[in-house]
Amino acid sequence: MADERSSKVSKLERKRSRSPVDTNSSTKRAKVEKTEDSDDDDKKAIEHNPYLSHWNDGSNGFSEGKLPVGSALKHFKRRQTTAKQASKAEDGDNNPFTGEPHSEQYFTILKARRNLPVHKQRQEFLDSYQKSQILVFVGETGSGKTTQIPQYVVYDELPHLNHKMVACTQPRRVAAMSVAQRVADELDVNIGEEVGYSIRFEDKTSSKTILKYMTDGMLLREAMHDHTLSRYSCIILDEAHERTLATDILMALLKGITQRRPDLKLIVMSATLDAQKFQRYFFDAPLLVVPGRTHPVEIFYTPEPEKDYVEGAIRTVLQIHAGEAEGDILLFLTGEEEIEDTCRKISLEVDELIRETDCGPMNVCPLYGTLPPHQQQRIFDPPPAPFKKGGRPGRKCIISTNIAETSLTIDGIVYVVDPGFSKQKIYNPRLRVESLLVSAISKASAQQRAGRAGRTKPGKCFRLYTEKAFKEELIEQTYPEILRSNLANTVLELKKLGVKDLVHFDLMDPPAPETMMRALEELNYLACLDDEGELTQLGSLASEFPLDPALAVMLISSPEFYCSNEILSLTALLSVPQIFLRPAQKRREADEMKNLFKHNDGDHLTMLNVYHAFKGILGRGEDGKKWCHQHYLSFRHLSSADNVRAQLKRIMETHGLDLVSTDFSDRDYYTNIRRALVAGFFMQVAKRENNKIYRTLKDNNSAVMLHPSTVLGADYDWVIYNEFVLTSKQYVRTVTGIRPEWLLELAPQYYDLESWEGQKDVKQALKAVADKMRRRAAMKAGR
Amino acid sequence: MASEEWSDDAESEEVPLQHKRPFGSGLKRKRVVFVPASSGNLNSTEESKPSESSGPSKSVSDIYLSIVMPKGAEETCTDEANAPAPDICDICKLPVNAASDAADAGKPSSRPHQASIAHQVCIAHSHPPSALDRSRMGLAVLEAQGWDPDARNGLGALNQGISFPIKAKPKNNTVGIGVEVPKDVATRKKEKPQMLNAKKVRKMASDDKRRQEKLRHQFYGNPEVEKYLGLS
Ligand SMILES: Nc1ncnc2c1ncn2[C@@H]1O[C@H](COP(=O)(O)OP(=O)(O)OP(=O)(O)O)[C@@H](O)[C@H]1O
Ligand SMILES: [Mg+2]
Ligand SMILES: [Zn+2]
Repeated sequence: MADERSSKVSKLERKRSRSPVDTNSSTKRAKVEKTEDSDDDDKKAIEHNPYLSHWNDGSNGFSEGKLPVGSALKHFKRRQTTAKQASKAEDGDNNPFTGEPHSEQYFTILKARRNLPVHKQRQEFLDSYQKSQILVFVGETGSGKTTQIPQYVVYDELPHLNHKMVACTQPRRVAAMSVAQRVADELDVNIGEEVGYSIRFEDKTSSKTILKYMTDGMLLREAMHDHTLSRYSCIILDEAHERTLATDILMALLKGITQRRPDLKLIVMSATLDAQKFQRYFFDAPLLVVPGRTHPVEIFYTPEPEKDYVEGAIRTVLQIHAGEAEGDILLFLTGEEEIEDTCRKISLEVDELIRETDCGPMNVCPLYGTLPPHQQQRIFDPPPAPFKKGGRPGRKCIISTNIAETSLTIDGIVYVVDPGFSKQKIYNPRLRVESLLVSAISKASAQQRAGRAGRTKPGKCFRLYTEKAFKEELIEQTYPEILRSNLANTVLELKKLGVKDLVHFDLMDPPAPETMMRALEELNYLACLDDEGELTQLGSLASEFPLDPALAVMLISSPEFYCSNEILSLTALLSVPQIFLRPAQKRREADEMKNLFKHNDGDHLTMLNVYHAFKGILGRGEDGKKWCHQHYLSFRHLSSADNVRAQLKRIMETHGLDLVSTDFSDRDYYTNIRRALVAGFFMQVAKRENNKIYRTLKDNNSAVMLHPSTVLGADYDWVIYNEFVLTSKQYVRTVTGIRPEWLLELAPQYYDLESWEGQKDVKQALKAVADKMRRRAAMKAGR
Repeated sequence: MASEEWSDDAESEEVPLQHKRPFGSGLKRKRVVFVPASSGNLNSTEESKPSESSGPSKSVSDIYLSIVMPKGAEETCTDEANAPAPDICDICKLPVNAASDAADAGKPSSRPHQASIAHQVCIAHSHPPSALDRSRMGLAVLEAQGWDPDARNGLGALNQGISFPIKAKPKNNTVGIGVEVPKDVATRKKEKPQMLNAKKVRKMASDDKRRQEKLRHQFYGNPEVEKYLGLS
């Protein structure tokens, strides 16, 4: 392997969002969801792979006797059951799966379940399900798709009979966990036993598991080691309308797998009425529609375009609070900053409103992916009580990213305020930059948002744009993630999945050829693919890491630079959201604290200093939380980096990658780390043009500034950067100074001066460096 | 990523919260006006009522299809309905006579159908080869798997994929949808003097037009070009 990668170790750009836990926008999920499973060496794999844990233990899997004595399922015939039979089994005194007596809570929930819209069509569902291998299922939000359909399938598949599970995918980690918990309650079993979930870095299943909720990314990872998904008898792709990268890839894979495995059933579930596209794609599969239980929503537009949508939104919320009947408000904004800022403003405004009028109280709750879970929970709190008995009712106002558009259902919303924007990931293959940009939403999104107002009673939706703009300026459907992403990681996964023909791979929406070519070339520079586009040994190994290929390559090559321990830490740190906090009111203090950790060579080493200090504190048994608070660091993100590090370490050990460090007192300690960084990030280099302006190299070729957060003490003409930030100005962020010699030495393919085109000054500079290197080598040889 | 507005409003953020001008004093001053939608309220209950009596699966899907289908179906029909004329060209699917009339007002009827723009647009291989750098590794791999860069096809089982990556511009303001913003201050300054001088503008337009005409004559008079376009 050393040979293979020696000449072109490499790297590419990282996406703008780095977090494995950050589910901020729906667009990030796929990459984020990569698991850290690993081993490819099949037999060995099973022992290490949490999700393959019951692969070979059929004996105690769905243990002998299979069903508890007297189970109501005893006379069920697989794939021939009826809704009536199932209902009877559900009504029994004992749990048909565990034999335990049913709890009181079980019957309470059962009653509620029978009121869900899907329940009325259980028989109809079973008829279609039994008749057809693939089924498309459409139901409005809240109709019971996610919670009920998998249970209906379990009662018909009887997974304990053939040791094959039922899987239901979710685009979001949070959804997978919470829905699994809910369904465990509904079935009256313990989470992790009959019903489990599997998300990145957490596998809560056991040998008893018959129904498994999991992220789409996790199922994709499993497919890398089990090409036909042989452990499942039925796969349910939920929230397919979200069209995440992983769901799209899964659909294409499953389209093939269902042909090869006639026994495998597939259900594609979607909340929106674009199901025809799914039907057509899946060989004209039958469609089942469950009407929702929603109420009409009146839609309002502004007569003129709104100059400032945030201000307009704030006013609208206050107007609703002052003038409309009881009911909670849901306002869609684009991101954390905007949301927090608006929350603050609205709260202040409401205080004023209350002083001046007889308005009721209002709780304002933010909602976005990076919000700590306990704070997210606040959105489910009941609205505040009136100030005094008989006073004007209190109200809840939730200000959310598009996370509340489909995946999170909040009851009680009667008013929706929709400025028409969301943050969407978009990939520019020329710049090789993935960024989150605020863009206008699609018509489909706007309808989905409006629908949120009709869950409890008839509602109203206030759109902060004109009806004409809605009709003429909004696109019909949001572009699927696969058209908006860097595909380097996807191509690596596809190769590992055994997909030979990328050109004719049957995706629902194939990406642009340019995007595909860029991905292939990036992987080629990283030596993950050879010149023919075939997976190399390095590429195969890199695909085992739930990381961007460049990061994976950097990690894999780090032992050669005697710093794999440090690079492991850095990789983990780069995989979580920003660890430095900078609260609006305390920026100066925060910057002073950051200076304590400053390393003159740049941000990466500064982050490493923080991590070492953090581990030191924990090691001494001190209060890490308090320490983080004092130093304006995110305890949560540092802890999660710690967790990610542990997972990555396991993968490294599994694959025999050495964990080594240079002696801390060695003067090459930091140099080695910087060189190892270059081995991964050589495609993200900027060279100084003048005092403040740098220019990124090769195709990217853009003038950039160092992000104001950058710590770079020494004067460096050449830097590597972790992200390219596109805002009003172009920045590079998380930067470390390097020596140009390293580029020529570590990435000769990418920095091949013979074939260099454009950027003459850079070529000149590199040529001078090359000459110097040659002279030095000659001198050494001559001596 | 929590710091996009770093440079821009660092100053304004320094003002302590309690000293900031209360924002809402404007609420009464400036109401947001709304008008009801002329059509398209969400009325899902009514739409779905007929199917609530859980009929056989067919009927439910039919209802659904009837909601979704008609528009698409009609569109494809009208295309064909437009072409009932007897002589239909195999290549462009347009009536041979009609096309030649409509194609080029400049030189009526003398032009053969094959020379009409509508026909030429439909001819395969009449476009120039792609400008892609042929030495690219990514291109070589896609070509090896059967993708032809010059055929203007996308990827996918039916080559149906998009041809070019989706583009988006960064948005760094809170201007609402539909507001027309001048591109940026610099270009606006440049445009202003031109707008003042209507004569100049008219002259530029006519210059443009003449240049276009000249180009057209060059192409359509030129036997080389016609050969390339497959007209001879
Ligand atoms: N954790 C929970 N606690 C209480 N009730 C719940 C919970 N999860 C779901 N429910 C109830 O079950 C109903 C059905 O939820 P489910 O998630 O199955 O709907 P869905 O059709 O998948 O909707 P969506 O399109 O939003 O995903 C909800 O309307 C809610 O009333
Ligand atoms: Mg659901
Ligand atoms: Zn023709």
